[in-house]
Amino acid sequence: MSTALLARVKDEYGSVRDTLPASVVGTERRRSALETLCAQGLPATREENWRYTNLRVLERARFAPTLTPSAAIPELPAPLAGFSRYVFVDGVLSSSPSIAAEAGISVRSLRAGAAAVTLESPPIPALPEARLALLNEAFATDAAAIRVQSLAATQRVELVFIASTAAQMGASYPRVQVALEPGTRLALVERHLSTGDAANLVNCAVQVDLAVGSRLTHYRLQQTGSRTAWFDTLEATLAKDARYELLAVSTGGLTARSTVHVRLAGSGAEVALSTAALGDRLQSQDTFALTEHLAPQTRTEQTFRGIASGRARVAFNGKVVVREAARGTDSRQSLRGLLAGPEAEIDVRPQLEIYTDEVRCAHGATAGMLDESMLFYLLSRGLSPEVAQRLLKWAFLEDVVSRIELPDLRRRIEVEIAGQMSEADSLKELLG
Amino acid sequence: MLKIDNLHVTVEGKEILKGLTLEIPAGEVHAVMGPNGSGKSTLAHVLSGRPGYQVTGGSVTFQGRDLLSLAPEERAREGVFLGFQYPVEIPGVNNVYLLKAAVNAARKHRGLPEVDAFEFLTVVREKMRLMRMDESMLSRGVNEGFSGGEKKRNEILQMLVLEPRLAVLDETDSGLDIDALKVVAHGVNTLRAADRSLVLVTHYQRLLDYIIPDRVHVLVQGRIVRSGDKTLALELERRGYDWLTGEAA
Repeated sequence: MSTALLARVKDEYGSVRDTLPASVVGTERRRSALETLCAQGLPATREENWRYTNLRVLERARFAPTLTPSAAIPELPAPLAGFSRYVFVDGVLSSSPSIAAEAGISVRSLRAGAAAVTLESPPIPALPEARLALLNEAFATDAAAIRVQSLAATQRVELVFIASTAAQMGASYPRVQVALEPGTRLALVERHLSTGDAANLVNCAVQVDLAVGSRLTHYRLQQTGSRTAWFDTLEATLAKDARYELLAVSTGGLTARSTVHVRLAGSGAEVALSTAALGDRLQSQDTFALTEHLAPQTRTEQTFRGIASGRARVAFNGKVVVREAARGTDSRQSLRGLLAGPEAEIDVRPQLEIYTDEVRCAHGATAGMLDESMLFYLLSRGLSPEVAQRLLKWAFLEDVVSRIELPDLRRRIEVEIAGQMSEADSLKELLG
Repeated sequence: MLKIDNLHVTVEGKEILKGLTLEIPAGEVHAVMGPNGSGKSTLAHVLSGRPGYQVTGGSVTFQGRDLLSLAPEERAREGVFLGFQYPVEIPGVNNVYLLKAAVNAARKHRGLPEVDAFEFLTVVREKMRLMRMDESMLSRGVNEGFSGGEKKRNEILQMLVLEPRLAVLDETDSGLDIDALKVVAHGVNTLRAADRSLVLVTHYQRLLDYIIPDRVHVLVQGRIVRSGDKTLALELERRGYDWLTGEAA
């Protein structure tokens, strides 16, 4: 199957090769990515870290990108105060609703660039879990390149990626490159939406490079349509004393898979990765998150809260690797899944590999049903069983959602999650 | 108000209440006392409709209705309140949200519009002062990180806000120091009214120094073995339960 599929990928690449912008990814690099992918093969569910992903959607997909993105900009969520917004439709910057950048930061669409100006990033060791990023590299039609230079204040950028209905004729490849210079700060909101209810294929690749002492707060919201297949690879490298707060909320898509690879390369670097995933009906939500501790005194905090209802499958595979040099590592994992239906499935898996001494690694993982005594307490106060259950699901996710430091964004996510959980007005009312 | 007739209740196959009969008229405060394992908490739970308690015989009538046929949330909306012996912590569910949701659920049941948010907060703040609770507790998760005493005060706060017809307080005095006990008792006393009944389930007489009951019942091995006025509680304090346990056999 995989061989035939790869042959098709190559064919499709051949047919669109000349139309792909070299300013986004150079031709040689595209070809090399495709070769590596062919050598490694596409992911398969027999592989340990892909077993919870629905990969069958790839068999029916067209891999070549949509070359004529829909011109119509769909209705966008209300803008966030203080954020500069950039909208990409089917992976390509759609200029009209986008706002110009401010001083101290450059935000560019690489498609518009004349020459190849791909960010120079340190080579990241090939990770088998990250190989769908190779597909993005081969087919990418645009990239948002963000570089923060100013120490003055926290810069704020919102990227909105929309898979439009036209994408049923091809895939879309959102691509983001973020580089923070020493000591700078950025708050980045990255949203993935779709228009209509087409069976889009989205394959997103994000690269984050944090220099000494820089700090990135990164909110990622995956809210694509109910038939979308959403694949995602995020690779981040942190220098000394850099701090990365990554908060992901995944509610959309028919099948969603996120691979997150964070390398703590400089001493004192810290990553806090918080993920909330909601699955209902036949959805699958799968995250594989790997943190590599490569330097001393580095810290990881992984938090996962997932709820599976209907016949959904929600999985989180959190791996922490502590390399020889990473003495004094502190890593904590708190992974919890909630089963909200007799046919739903939760898979939470903490993994630890430690190759040095003097480390502190704590992990906890649970999967279970709603707490009966909490449920009864709410009923005894007059709440209906439906509202009580929703409230408890809601409360379960709060461990992650409450970490959103922007009140406006937090409130919106709360309302959206409430909506996703088919909330009646009753719960929205509770949100005040 | 409440009429319990020959109630038999089984928990996990074991009969705990064995023909309990008790009547509580409107406007009265009754204390149900008894040794450990006599069935006091079972009585409180079965009145609130907690799952896992199987009624095998008898009846409970509340304001002329068959209480046992109602779901827990319906009982609450009809005005039955259970003050838990061990209130659960529900992190992530805000105290004030729960209070408001509870009040609105009852109002909707009675065909009334939802409370005005501002007026509601004013009322809640006033009751919090009465319970000597810090206002910051409103925005915290339900009972989250509360001390034992704070949890019990929060139960009484909920009761004061909900203004039930019938309140069953399950060992509300346990784990309270004397100051907290006085605050809780004061809160309960403000709710005494002609159209309201209170059932105090307690192990010790101490609470009854501050909330004077109209009647005292002694529950032993699943039955009421003796009833009397407040002096019965004092007698129990002096003599213990041993002299009554023989009467249950």
